[in-house]
Amino acid sequence: MKTVINEQNRRSFSSQVESMLHDKLAKCYQCGKCSAGCPVNFEMDYTPNQIIKMTELGMEDAVLNSKTIWLCVSCNTCSTRCPKGFEVTGIMDVLREIAEKKGITSKAEKEIQMFHEVFLDNVKSNGRIFELELVGKYKLKTRHLFRDMFLAPKMLEKGKLKMQGEKISGLNQIAKIFKDFE
Amino acid sequence: MGKLAYYPGCSLKGTSFEYEVSLLKILEALNIEIKEISDWNCCGASAAHSINHNLSIALPARNLAIAEKDGYDSVLAPCAACSSRLKNADYELKNDDVLKKKITNSLEMNYVPAGMSINNMLEFLIGEVGKDRIKSMVKKPLSGLKVASYYGCLLVRPPKIMQFDDAENPVTMDELVALTGAEPVDYSFKTECCGAINSLSKPDVVMALTGKVLYDIKKHGADLVVVACPLCHSNLDVRQREIERKYEEKIGLPVLFITELIGLSFGINPKDLAIDGHMVTADSVLRKIEELNNK
Repeated sequence: MKTVINEQNRRSFSSQVESMLHDKLAKCYQCGKCSAGCPVNFEMDYTPNQIIKMTELGMEDAVLNSKTIWLCVSCNTCSTRCPKGFEVTGIMDVLREIAEKKGITSKAEKEIQMFHEVFLDNVKSNGRIFELELVGKYKLKTRHLFRDMFLAPKMLEKGKLKMQGEKISGLNQIAKIFKDFE
Repeated sequence: MGKLAYYPGCSLKGTSFEYEVSLLKILEALNIEIKEISDWNCCGASAAHSINHNLSIALPARNLAIAEKDGYDSVLAPCAACSSRLKNADYELKNDDVLKKKITNSLEMNYVPAGMSINNMLEFLIGEVGKDRIKSMVKKPLSGLKVASYYGCLLVRPPKIMQFDDAENPVTMDELVALTGAEPVDYSFKTECCGAINSLSKPDVVMALTGKVLYDIKKHGADLVVVACPLCHSNLDVRQREIERKYEEKIGLPVLFITELIGLSFGINPKDLAIDGHMVTADSVLRKIEELNNK
């Protein structure tokens, strides 16, 4: 793996991350406690402490294309246990946001990324989540039409699936929020 | 007790309707009035903070600003994810003036951070309602019932923002369980993650995490699990049959919301608490309560 990076690029990437994160990458002394407690570490290609170091080294492509940033479920175990109080969970948010803004689609974990996108689209159009529409659109987008479908009849019987969503009356305000920040 | 706002969030109006039905029932019994924040919007949940930080602050901030404008002192957000997002927004707006200006400009509403107390369900029950008041309503003590409290992530983490209980070994829900007369069961994975939002996009990972929690609870002899989060409930309850098939070992653990357990101890009819709304039937729990009462 190529690890020697143009110094200017290195600085520009790590300082972009630091300014969005409001934290310093150099705080991390690589103890690995974040990775030891991470509940999804078994699926990751790089452990959380590796992601921190790689970001500091400016390994932008590897980090932004990693499975790790999408697999992180933001359970906050890492940040809670970090002896240096580093924003480990926060860095995953920052890296996902940079990847998203750059239009990088995760190859291995694109379904997680798509779920977030479909979720926010749903908020944008209704102001609230309409679960049936959310699941339907997600399934169309990922083409996993039948996965989990066996759950539907019983959920329907139990009253868990509402057929009708709710739209809020302040949808123009929601539209403005999205316009200002999207 | 000041004026109490209620932020239900999307799940309580859909897949986790049992949570709303049961919490409204017990608050009615306790004679506590809460009012839905008018025209509330989705907090953005995990999706917003995962890919757009500003959106993850702006969406919950709109709800807080409406609550403030309407003169509320305190907000109850029973969904752990919603309460976490509201608290996160409040924290960031308090500590980042630049962001606060951007957000309030966008909302065209003012908001004074840290002016309102934001409570998850457990905080609300212990803090706003109080143990004595709950205990005084227990008409049908659940003595002999063994209950495991599952907290998951967002009720307690990150501690600097949640400011609630112990992040590694919380006890508030166990204390509430004890108030109902039931016996709290200790086990290892009280605060391990259930896989949360990845339920649809990474079901295998979610089942591995949830399976670990459920089998551990089972091993420690609990009759049921209680939770205070719709997503935890969904992963533990809706996916349970599939986990049993995947790991070829029966679990059969009913998963109830803490509000349902409290409602049962108040003597409220299980149907009125929507206990029949779960995927794993709670019949075994209701039977055991009857047996214990007849002893």
